[in-house]
Amino acid sequence: MPLSSPIHPGQVVWTGENPGILLKEDPDGPFSAIALFFRIYLSPKGRGTVLLLLDSPEEQRTFPDGCNVLLHDNKELAEYLLETFILKLPAFAALPACESLSLIPMEECRSEGDPRVRYSEIIKAHSLEIELVWDGLGTPTALELPAELTGGKENELYTLLIESTNPSIHINGQRLSGSPVERVQAGIKTTTAFLYFSETWIRPA
Amino acid sequence: MTEVETRIAVNPGRVEWAGDNPGIYLRESPDGPWTGLGIFFRVLFSEYGQGSAMIILGDPQNAQGFPDARNLCITTNSELTQYLVQDFVSRFPSFRSQPALEAMTWLEAESHLSDGDMKTSWTETMTASGCEAKMHWAHLGEPFAVEVTPKDCATGIHDMYSVFLEARSASICLNGESLSGNVCERVFFGREMSTAFLAVSETWVLPSAT
Repeated sequence: MPLSSPIHPGQVVWTGENPGILLKEDPDGPFSAIALFFRIYLSPKGRGTVLLLLDSPEEQRTFPDGCNVLLHDNKELAEYLLETFILKLPAFAALPACESLSLIPMEECRSEGDPRVRYSEIIKAHSLEIELVWDGLGTPTALELPAELTGGKENELYTLLIESTNPSIHINGQRLSGSPVERVQAGIKTTTAFLYFSETWIRPA
Repeated sequence: MTEVETRIAVNPGRVEWAGDNPGIYLRESPDGPWTGLGIFFRVLFSEYGQGSAMIILGDPQNAQGFPDARNLCITTNSELTQYLVQDFVSRFPSFRSQPALEAMTWLEAESHLSDGDMKTSWTETMTASGCEAKMHWAHLGEPFAVEVTPKDCATGIHDMYSVFLEARSASICLNGESLSGNVCERVFFGREMSTAFLAVSETWVLPSAT
């Protein structure tokens, strides 16, 4: 805080919710499972819900042999987020799984719980029932990040970060192995499991 | 952009709530009093949990509740809504001196529906026993982000982040009957803007004591 004028001169790219869970089996190894969820209220491709789920990020295993999938209720939006957001993040662009993603329509999605304590997103698509759980939730922090402090380094960001110390990803009742690890965002020590609410990406003027 | 680069990336204040907070303020004449006020909350995070609430003051200067006057609040979470009314709505300039705000009838929500694409129009509908309240925004403009400090904030004490979309036309209906009045122009952070707006992805922060 503050801008020189309360109205930001940049262009809103998209706004919504963007929680995620990134797990490792070995703290020094690669990510063993990744879930990145999007509930988009407003974007150039409209509204919608998208889930990037990678059960084997280091492998090119297409569904149903592997569960490296992009679930969506708006295919155009899913492709837009993949191209302009997910693959702009260096950690994702380098993953073999992102080269062989299966796009699958979502049949149902709902949130449950309380973001003060334990929160979950439940998604059904094809033969998949997925539950993402953020437990051990912390105190929320409002972030206003210049482009250079974001993963893609192109756009500015407003978001509300609530970290989770005990997350889990379940596919058809099976919990994926791995634990969150420490990360630093804008100088804050946090974890690789997080709720991001009221998230707005802004292209600088 | 120099201003952004020099800003503090982590707001040190206490997050009060996050969610959506669109409104519609109607007048019968541009210089007259408000004749219909509507505000909606969809709260994703707060100290009092999640919930949705719609406050309609169809007779803002009448200290009576529904059905004697068209003043009511429909909510899925009364504790949350009492907090929102006391700490936020009662500080908003358009609401704070309205006798109806204290007199409005509180109703427990039976259903809530959001509809629209947020490109051209958007509608929030809440129902309670004997009552259906609907807020409709149309002719929506381009979204823009705002970031305000207590000096410019509607409560006078918070930092607030939001995305606004101006609505050139809007209506508030109670049991199928539209409230009288029209949206009008107001100066909003130095820009002429309609008194009907969508406000999504809001975060309200109480600044730390310095």
